[in-house]
Amino acid sequence: MDPILRVQGVSKRFGGVEALKDVSLEVKRGSITGLIGPNGSGKSTLFNVITGFYKPDSGSVYFEGKRIDGLNPNEIYNMGIARTFQIPRLFGSLTILENMMLSPKGQRGESLVKAPFKKVWLDEEIQLANEVKNLLKEFDMDGLYKVYASELSGGHIKMVETSKGILGRAKLILLDEPTAGVHYAVGRNLFEYINYLRKSRDLTFFIVEHRIELLFDYVDYVYVLHMGRVLSQGTPDEVASDPKVIEAYIGGA
Amino acid sequence: MFDVVSFLISWLTLFGIYAILALCLNMEIGYTGMANFGLVAFFGIGAFITAYISISTFLSFYGYNYPVYSLDAIIAIGKVAGKTPWLNIAVFLLSLVLSFLVAGIAGYFISYPTLRVGPAFLGITILSFGEMLRVFMKHFEPTGGAYGILGIPHPFAWVSDPLIKNISYLTLTLMILAGVFIYFELLANSPYGRVLKSVREDEVASLCMGKPVPKIKAELLFVASGISGVAGALYAFYLGSVTPDMFITTVTFEVWSMVILGGRGNNFGALLGTSIFTLLNRATSILNFMFPGSLIDPNYIRWMITGALIVIVLIYKPKGILPEKPIKTEAWKIFEVRRGGRIGLKLIRTKVIVIALIIVRYIKMAIYWLIGREII
Repeated sequence: MDPILRVQGVSKRFGGVEALKDVSLEVKRGSITGLIGPNGSGKSTLFNVITGFYKPDSGSVYFEGKRIDGLNPNEIYNMGIARTFQIPRLFGSLTILENMMLSPKGQRGESLVKAPFKKVWLDEEIQLANEVKNLLKEFDMDGLYKVYASELSGGHIKMVETSKGILGRAKLILLDEPTAGVHYAVGRNLFEYINYLRKSRDLTFFIVEHRIELLFDYVDYVYVLHMGRVLSQGTPDEVASDPKVIEAYIGGA
Repeated sequence: MFDVVSFLISWLTLFGIYAILALCLNMEIGYTGMANFGLVAFFGIGAFITAYISISTFLSFYGYNYPVYSLDAIIAIGKVAGKTPWLNIAVFLLSLVLSFLVAGIAGYFISYPTLRVGPAFLGITILSFGEMLRVFMKHFEPTGGAYGILGIPHPFAWVSDPLIKNISYLTLTLMILAGVFIYFELLANSPYGRVLKSVREDEVASLCMGKPVPKIKAELLFVASGISGVAGALYAFYLGSVTPDMFITTVTFEVWSMVILGGRGNNFGALLGTSIFTLLNRATSILNFMFPGSLIDPNYIRWMITGALIVIVLIYKPKGILPEKPIKTEAWKIFEVRRGGRIGLKLIRTKVIVIALIIVRYIKMAIYWLIGREII
């Protein structure tokens, strides 16, 4: 299968700290790819480079064959890459419905000129609302549409964050520690949900995760970052038995 | 003798002008989270543009060759202001358009370097811009320096009865206010309003969902600053004179207190806050007039009441008197089980219309009772 995302020789430096050193990796279309590594190994920096928050000092990022490094985050989202954050960033004083309705890209009513004319965007709005309803219904959350995001439970927040990308027609979803701060069983549910989404909607997931025991049950391929370099890569079994990985996590550094 | 009619006219005109400002600020801080601490700069730009344009147009139309701020100009304008009604109206409209454009473009460019950083930078930049502009205008000869420009021709200067003149101007102001209010309500209750709120909540997350945040902020600042400029134009015509010291930062914070008191992110709240504070403003100036030389100047009491009101409201209703509500696109209806349906809605609409008609009738009767003759 062709890679949907290709990172080639990316380096990023913050002052004296080399956060990424010549990182190259590929995410295959339709896979769940994991990215693990000890704290400070550059996982979040890599995510920020891919989604356009940082420009790499050298190297390039390709998404579906098109070069995307140097684009703005909003342009990258519009190309089909959605992301979540380590700390969930829902819009607290908006309802779940409003939060999800923000995801679809290129809405007609989102322009200053067209917004006052309801006729222009009403049909699209209704159609999107139906889509949101169906998505929420799939996971028994359609009763929550009125709830403010700040009042939602941790597990639900993660579910909403993960499924928002679907409404934006994302092809690749980057998840930054999806199970951080939730109970083990909830985390397992979430991974089941991710797996289900991948299969039912032809999505690709690229996941940073610290809960390796959870991650390894679901991923197809794993990259290990350490001190800004790709230390090891392979299927979960290969990586788990790699002595370099064990040293980086337990002994080493 | 306390004159109810002129009190009402002056209060409502002031209310109209300040309400436009409060609505603009509400769009900026309440919806988009841009802390505009320099609202008064755009208000002032609108007022000065209006003063300059209207007087210079009148002078050149009648072939006078005086500087706009000179005493000769004031006298000349006094002679010719009521002669050509169409020119008054044309100058009024031209001033509104130019005030909108100049203030809007100023808002766009002043904020441009700060759009990519946090709200505090934006606030400080515009705040200092406003102060610098005021000090600059105080020393800028072509607009009369610290003395400003006097004798701005009123758009209804050709109406001989001052009462009718003032009521006409009040009507015009309230019509513009209504237009601005409807425009902002439509904007707020649309997908665009939802995007604005997302920018307020979390710029980074909004950017991550494909929203071009810097562009959105820049265009909203253009519109809101432009409309603040229109408010400035209305203010200049209302007072008939402008001086740089009318546009001190206090004005900005007065508008801020209106928005905070009424409710951020709620246009009705902005109107309510404005009506409370402008009423307070008028009431204390009347007290000042009725009890001259009293121990405490009522103008200072006004600031005390303002502070006390804000503290009390923020303790008991931290989100303002009328708190923010979810936006009203039709999306939520998809989730509601149908009940009542269209007939219910139609009934409510008819009721609203009937009540509105009754209210209008009573207002007419009240005006008749107050001034003793038919005006509408």
